[in-house]
Amino acid sequence: MTEDFDRILDECIDRINRGQSPADCLSDYPAYSERLRPLLHSMYDVRRAYPFAPSADAKRAARQKLHAALGKRRQGASTSSFLKVISRPAVWATAAVVILAIVGTLVVRPLFSPQTLISDPEGNFAFVVSDEPNAIGDFETLNITISKVVLQTVGLAKSLEFTPEVKTVDLTLLQGKQSQEIWRGDVPAGQYSHISIEVSEVKGRLESTGQVVDVRLPSHKLQMPVSFEVTTDTLTSFTFDITVVKTGNNGKYNLRPQIAESGAGKDQMPAE
Amino acid sequence: MKIDTREKASGINERETQLSRLYEEYYDKIARYVYVHVGNREESEDIAGEVFLKALKSLKSYRERGVPMQAWLFRIAHNLTVDHLRRMNKRKTAEIEEIDSLAVAGNDNPVDAAEKGIEFERVIEAMNQLTAEQREIINLRFFGELTSREVSSILGKSDGAVREMQRAAVERLRVIMGVEKQ
Repeated sequence: MTEDFDRILDECIDRINRGQSPADCLSDYPAYSERLRPLLHSMYDVRRAYPFAPSADAKRAARQKLHAALGKRRQGASTSSFLKVISRPAVWATAAVVILAIVGTLVVRPLFSPQTLISDPEGNFAFVVSDEPNAIGDFETLNITISKVVLQTVGLAKSLEFTPEVKTVDLTLLQGKQSQEIWRGDVPAGQYSHISIEVSEVKGRLESTGQVVDVRLPSHKLQMPVSFEVTTDTLTSFTFDITVVKTGNNGKYNLRPQIAESGAGKDQMPAE
Repeated sequence: MKIDTREKASGINERETQLSRLYEEYYDKIARYVYVHVGNREESEDIAGEVFLKALKSLKSYRERGVPMQAWLFRIAHNLTVDHLRRMNKRKTAEIEEIDSLAVAGNDNPVDAAEKGIEFERVIEAMNQLTAEQREIINLRFFGELTSREVSSILGKSDGAVREMQRAAVERLRVIMGVEKQ
């Protein structure tokens, strides 16, 4: 009997935590209501009397710190795996070079399916997302989930695609010069003319009201006709800049690619 | 077309993604949980942020094994709070000035604000009359909004034991607050 009561009280506390009132739960358990009512009202009073909620500024600052630490960690992981390879004894280094040469040959000569791209922290291509500030200041968070990135070679002779390792990014954290790498891997050397991303979900929460708002992206795709070259001896880092714009005064927003802020940059690959 | 990710790295990546996601849902709850112990807005917010950074650093050692990640975060929050209190040698409950400033924040009506301040003070005083375990359960359930199963995994007790202690704690709160009201 007491065990039943404990279970019912527990369920009612869960329901009040989810926003229901004590009356909602009491009406489901009339046989227990006499004993349950004062306890639920006490709980309700305690919760209501507790005024503390952290500020939006503190939450945003903590989020930025967490994202920065995540970015650093990912960068560190790729550096340390590279160091691990080069710090092995010579015999292992030789073996690694031979294996890399074989793998490299297989990637360059497309014996595998030509569309398959392998993620590799030491790869020659990094895909980075950034945000050109337009209406982004209206948002507390704007999370977009990228399901696929597609690269097209010149003349559309070949199409290559990969799934990002980091799928969901918050554009409010990527304004201006800030950016986030979401994939790195080996991409065949050559000229590319077009890059697009497929977005499976967009979730925006307004800074002013905390409400989730409709952010539209027709066809769930962002296309970017930009020419760039990928080579084997340099790291090509492609920044895909996305912006959110307000459409009139109807409270709706659209996502758009920002071609002027997007493009490829080159860095020397670490020497082996 | 699939990307051939390394299993180990993908396990870590999944946990990183999970942690990012939990941040959105649990930052506020953890800050509220910490505030009950620390009684200072800035310090509670800082500790809540630190919980996620600490979790990220220890992510390699996290294995679910019956403890969901959100419960693990509250364990970290508890440890950081204890360390903080030890370091600062602070009172365990909210200070009166802080209560007043919280009650006044966002409230233009001074009478209403004062009443809210008194109400909160009553709650804190009532909480102080519970045992340490009862207080922890109420804090995790009411302010951290964890389920009793998650609380049981943090405290290392059975679900039934937590439910029983929870009932005893709420009954005690009712008596204390009822007596005070009269």
